[in-house]
Amino acid sequence: MIEQNLKELEERSIFILREAKSKFKNVAALWSMGKDSTTMLALARKAFLGKVPFPVIHIDNGIDFPETYKFRDDLTKKWNLDLIVAKSEIKPEISGFSCCGSNKTEALKKIMKEYKFDALIVSIRRDEHGIRAKERVFSARDKNFRWNYKNQAAELWDDYSSKIDTAGHVRVHPLLDWNEIDIWRYIKKERIPVNPLYFSRNGFRYRSLGCTHCTVPVKSNAKTIDDIIKELKNTDTEERAGREQDKEKEYVMQKLRAFGYM
Amino acid sequence: MLVRNVTMQGHKDHGKSTLIGSILMLTNSVSQARIEEAKKYSQKLGKPFEPAFILDSFEEEREGGLTIDTTRAEASYKGVAFELIDVPGHEELIKNMMSGASFADIAILLVSAKPDEGIRDQTKRHVFVARMLGINSIIVAINKMDSVEYKKEVYDKLVNEINSFFKNINFSGSVRFVPISAYNGENIKEKSEKMGWYKGKPLLEELFFLSKKKDKPKIKDLRAVVQGFIEEENKKLISARVLSGCLRKGTISVYPNGIKRKALNLIVNGKKVAKACENDTVAIELDAPLNEARGLVISSSSKPIITKKINALVFSTIKLGNNSKISIRLLGKEFAAKKLSINEVIDASNGLHKKGNFIKPLDAGRVAIDLGDYVAVEKYSELKGMGRFTFYSGSKFGGVGIIE
Repeated sequence: MIEQNLKELEERSIFILREAKSKFKNVAALWSMGKDSTTMLALARKAFLGKVPFPVIHIDNGIDFPETYKFRDDLTKKWNLDLIVAKSEIKPEISGFSCCGSNKTEALKKIMKEYKFDALIVSIRRDEHGIRAKERVFSARDKNFRWNYKNQAAELWDDYSSKIDTAGHVRVHPLLDWNEIDIWRYIKKERIPVNPLYFSRNGFRYRSLGCTHCTVPVKSNAKTIDDIIKELKNTDTEERAGREQDKEKEYVMQKLRAFGYM
Repeated sequence: MLVRNVTMQGHKDHGKSTLIGSILMLTNSVSQARIEEAKKYSQKLGKPFEPAFILDSFEEEREGGLTIDTTRAEASYKGVAFELIDVPGHEELIKNMMSGASFADIAILLVSAKPDEGIRDQTKRHVFVARMLGINSIIVAINKMDSVEYKKEVYDKLVNEINSFFKNINFSGSVRFVPISAYNGENIKEKSEKMGWYKGKPLLEELFFLSKKKDKPKIKDLRAVVQGFIEEENKKLISARVLSGCLRKGTISVYPNGIKRKALNLIVNGKKVAKACENDTVAIELDAPLNEARGLVISSSSKPIITKKINALVFSTIKLGNNSKISIRLLGKEFAAKKLSINEVIDASNGLHKKGNFIKPLDAGRVAIDLGDYVAVEKYSELKGMGRFTFYSGSKFGGVGIIE
């Protein structure tokens, strides 16, 4: 896995976060308590001189790991975060597409409407998935959260805030250019707190974190950040291999994203 | 690791996605799972293995056999990370091509050697635009050499034809030529035995060679473009991106008005610093507030060009006449153009002057634009970031321009 220049990545993300804040009236961020969205919050603290100036939304279906809830509450206190918990219902068929798709998206829709957010910061990365690689940094969603991927707005150079025609909201992707390994190197460098589930216990660790029903751990003995970085340098499997929804059918990710999933 | 952004360019079906797929496999930069998935899908569609499917992820792209939107993948070669940007070749999708290519330092221009394909208008248009987007180095990859039995004559003829086009548009950057077969992996990583007549290096070697070049702005003095206030209520705290030179504490001039301020503190990536230099995004604490911030330019010694009217070379994706109502996005700000004058029309597919008083979609021209307000700019040839813009007609993307 390719390691990029952290200072350049950091600079770009700070620039994007400030663009989002100055362009939109009512910004919020999604926080899954995973490594990526927590890194994004650390970057926001740098961009806005020590504080996160927007609310962070946890879409909570009630079946996240206990470690995840504890991590959320500890960091909310430590970083003085404005946390919004969006409760999502658990429907009987809770796996893959329906678990992460309809349940979570519905809860998010409700919150976005209630608070009238016009921009949502989402910590996706291009290297996670072929579909995510196609994203823009500023990406419009219509009223119904749909992503018109067939006709995305032009986005040249660093003019991220170019004209976006939407009656809905805009997704802002400050981490789009980062690789998985960059995230871990940055976490190490900046001593960013991480969810303990990423580290190996009994020969397994979570490489990508969703809820308890749709994520499975991968075989790993990586007990420290250095171990993880070493492991990633030599791996040939995909980061989201432990995510059920990505594998169900072809184009599931495309459909999830088109309907408003992150 | 040194990272270089490389965009594919060229007419549809000349092999852009296939070449990326091929490079990813030859440099072991893609997981076996992704290759298997692409293989499985090729089979499902009843096609031979299509390396392009490693890149083309949309259902419509695979079924339709064309790239719709830009995407990226990374390959590392000899310690350099090449961010390979795939773009659609179809002319209706040119705004997606431009979005992808605008990040690149280097372009690989794909030209198919097949007799019925060759150099197309779209091939040349891509080069025309690439130069305006900031690309200085181009590798012309004459692809599908397998379909012409790897013949030298076919290659030579295409090289001559393209060279005369580069001359027409006064391209001053580096140009290299390589004959390849993207599908068969010939002349990509290793020198091809099938083309013994070719004395140059394989494609990845050429890429490696060009990766060491980095163009520096001609302007050495400080120019920083102000992004905005960091907190709306605190008008003494601004964010700016340094495009050239270095910003230090002390007196600065803020243009176009030339207001003087003192920079009391500079913060880069969360740390207080003594100076902020090229490519830094810096938070500046000023001694006194500013009324507005976005799109202003900070300088310390020499003065940028202050003007209401800009002369520019444009590439248009819409019809553009003297009466067109357009808005200009320059320095992160938007200006409703007060007046637009078309001074010259250029055929973007050959770079030559054309008669007429309007620019038709996918052509170029020289224009004068009255912005209605003063701005601080530089010529594109002096400092790219202060000399380029996009334009729109309503909310419709209209094209790009560079200040001359």
